[in-house]
Amino acid sequence: MNRRKFLTFMGTAGVVSALGTAKVAKAGVETFPYYDNGYGVLHDMTRCIGCRKCEEGCNKANKLPAPEKPFSDLSVLDKRRRTTPTAWTVVNKWDMGEGKFAFRKQQCFHCNDPACASACFTKCYQKQPNGAVIYDGSQCVGCRYCMVACPFYVPSFEYGEPFDPVIKKCTFCFDRLKEGKLPGCVESCTMDALTFGRRKDLIKIARKRIEAEPEKYLDYVYGEHDAGGTAWMVLMPKPKDLPQCSTGNAAEAKDAAKRAGLDTTLGNQPMAEYTYGALGAVPMIIAFWPVLFGGAYGMTKRREAIAKANLAKATAEEKQKVMDAVVKVIEKEQGAEAAEKARQQMNEALAEADAPKTDGEAN
Amino acid sequence: MRNGKALLKQTAMAAACTFCLIIWGAGPGQASELEATDSGAPSAKVMFPVSAKATAPVASMKPVLFNHLIHEKAVEKCETCHHTGDPAACSDCHSAEGKEEGKFITLEKAMHAKNIAVREDGKTPSSCVSCHEQQTAKRECAGCHSTISPSYDAAWCSTCHNVNVTPQQMADGANGRLSEAANLAVATKTVQETKRAASPATLGPAKAIIDAIANEYEPCVFNHKRHMASLMENIKDSKLAAAFHTQPETLCATCHHHSPLSLTPPKCVSCHPVAIDRMQPARPQLKAAYHLQCMGCHKGMDVKRPVNTSCTSCHKAKAPAAEAPAEAAEK
Repeated sequence: MNRRKFLTFMGTAGVVSALGTAKVAKAGVETFPYYDNGYGVLHDMTRCIGCRKCEEGCNKANKLPAPEKPFSDLSVLDKRRRTTPTAWTVVNKWDMGEGKFAFRKQQCFHCNDPACASACFTKCYQKQPNGAVIYDGSQCVGCRYCMVACPFYVPSFEYGEPFDPVIKKCTFCFDRLKEGKLPGCVESCTMDALTFGRRKDLIKIARKRIEAEPEKYLDYVYGEHDAGGTAWMVLMPKPKDLPQCSTGNAAEAKDAAKRAGLDTTLGNQPMAEYTYGALGAVPMIIAFWPVLFGGAYGMTKRREAIAKANLAKATAEEKQKVMDAVVKVIEKEQGAEAAEKARQQMNEALAEADAPKTDGEAN
Repeated sequence: MRNGKALLKQTAMAAACTFCLIIWGAGPGQASELEATDSGAPSAKVMFPVSAKATAPVASMKPVLFNHLIHEKAVEKCETCHHTGDPAACSDCHSAEGKEEGKFITLEKAMHAKNIAVREDGKTPSSCVSCHEQQTAKRECAGCHSTISPSYDAAWCSTCHNVNVTPQQMADGANGRLSEAANLAVATKTVQETKRAASPATLGPAKAIIDAIANEYEPCVFNHKRHMASLMENIKDSKLAAAFHTQPETLCATCHHHSPLSLTPPKCVSCHPVAIDRMQPARPQLKAAYHLQCMGCHKGMDVKRPVNTSCTSCHKAKAPAAEAPAEAAEK
């Protein structure tokens, strides 16, 4: 392959790969498949009384170790808590202003297009068609990239586990759903503050509730679009001292949602899409860079070899010329026999002089 | 006959009096039987859909009786309703189609509008409906009225639209041709004929045992009678409640909701399933139905105790014998 052919090939390859990348970027939310019929849970904060029965239900359903303080001890609500490897869901108390408090249950939101799964390079996370984002630790290397990627601070790492620590998080009671049972927390909720159903139905239910009591609810279904949409969604009470937001307006709902510990500034795009363009280029680089640089290396090497061969040829010709001249002089002065002998001896000497060099090269 | 003249005279007088009384009783004179107002306005008034159109609505919704006397006593100042400060009739500015004087706000809007924008000059008007709904925010009403909202159906309309008038009176009223005296006569008749709803015939069981799903706790012993008596005591002096709780069973309908009014309503479990109903995921399950209903009302009425999370206040903890093995297992 000559230089021209190679460059033509590489140029074509570059254009083709660029077109391929553009196509992926245009596809939008297709970074992970979206399951239209997936289940979800609607958490209505206005109904939640902070009884911690959901935590107890989760603990029982998933056979987690008993907590230090019993579930009936509500003093734990005074402190802001995060999910841990042994408490996959926690209820926190939030100050909604003007002395009103509301409770919010925290657990995995089971994103439509989960950031944790996009960050995991061992494919431990999978979005299931039933809506659950489940984790399989058999391949986990413990990098905790998923914890960094999750916008809700949900995956928790078993720091207390000396051997083979893995991530623990809410599974949407995946096995229970398969058996036709409700998730542990939903089943134990005393107020139906957790409503289980298909995600698309839940959005309608949420809208109806807001419409029926527009003064009570913030006109925002958290998780409908946030972070690309989540299977678990939250209805918040409208703080009395803040104005109502326009329907689903993330910017206007920001301050109210912040009081409930929810971030409406995550955007409507799945987290994975922010990095997809850059990360999508990686396979292309892996495929074409070896060819590109290999080719460049090959060309350089070939040029060097040609130059070397030319030099050797020129040297040999020069030597031959000198030898012929010398032989001619000897022939003229001492006769043809002496000239032949001198040529032979000179050839031998040259061969001898070259021989150690070739040995050295061989070594 | 010595006393014949006198007897004849007495008989004639009695006949005349009877005749006069009959005339008087049939005519507008009977209005004097209603207590007079302090302001001098008619004690009661029938409000017709006054229209500027030549063809007055003969067939229409029944007109509304406005008891000026009761409302005058209930509000602090005339401006609460007469928002311009001028004690004119509502229909002077707000006709069925709207007039320029009333900023083209129709009579229907003026009487029924909710969520009225606050005016800068402080003279925010209120409609019948907006004012009445504000009244239900009071503690003694808010238990029921914070958890349920009326279904705006025919029965809701006819609570106020209930004055029986002849087509002629309707046409005259709508044209503004009905005399004040005639209006008062109809109004007085309506006031006198309107009967208040009796109290429910029974307060229900003294103790209702709620045990359909008793599992973690003992069954809940609910004192039905005491709850009913307390609700009735709270509103016994409220004329508003008396006027709008039109059936004896109206009070039952907060908890025993969505079913026809009855003294023997269906059980909660008839509609609220023990486990989630796939077809009705939004319908509260039985456990939640109880909790939402009880706590919703207690929250509305600002009942301080028991707090929502005090589980054992309403249903006692299971006997320790049953709990001991579980605890041992945990340890």
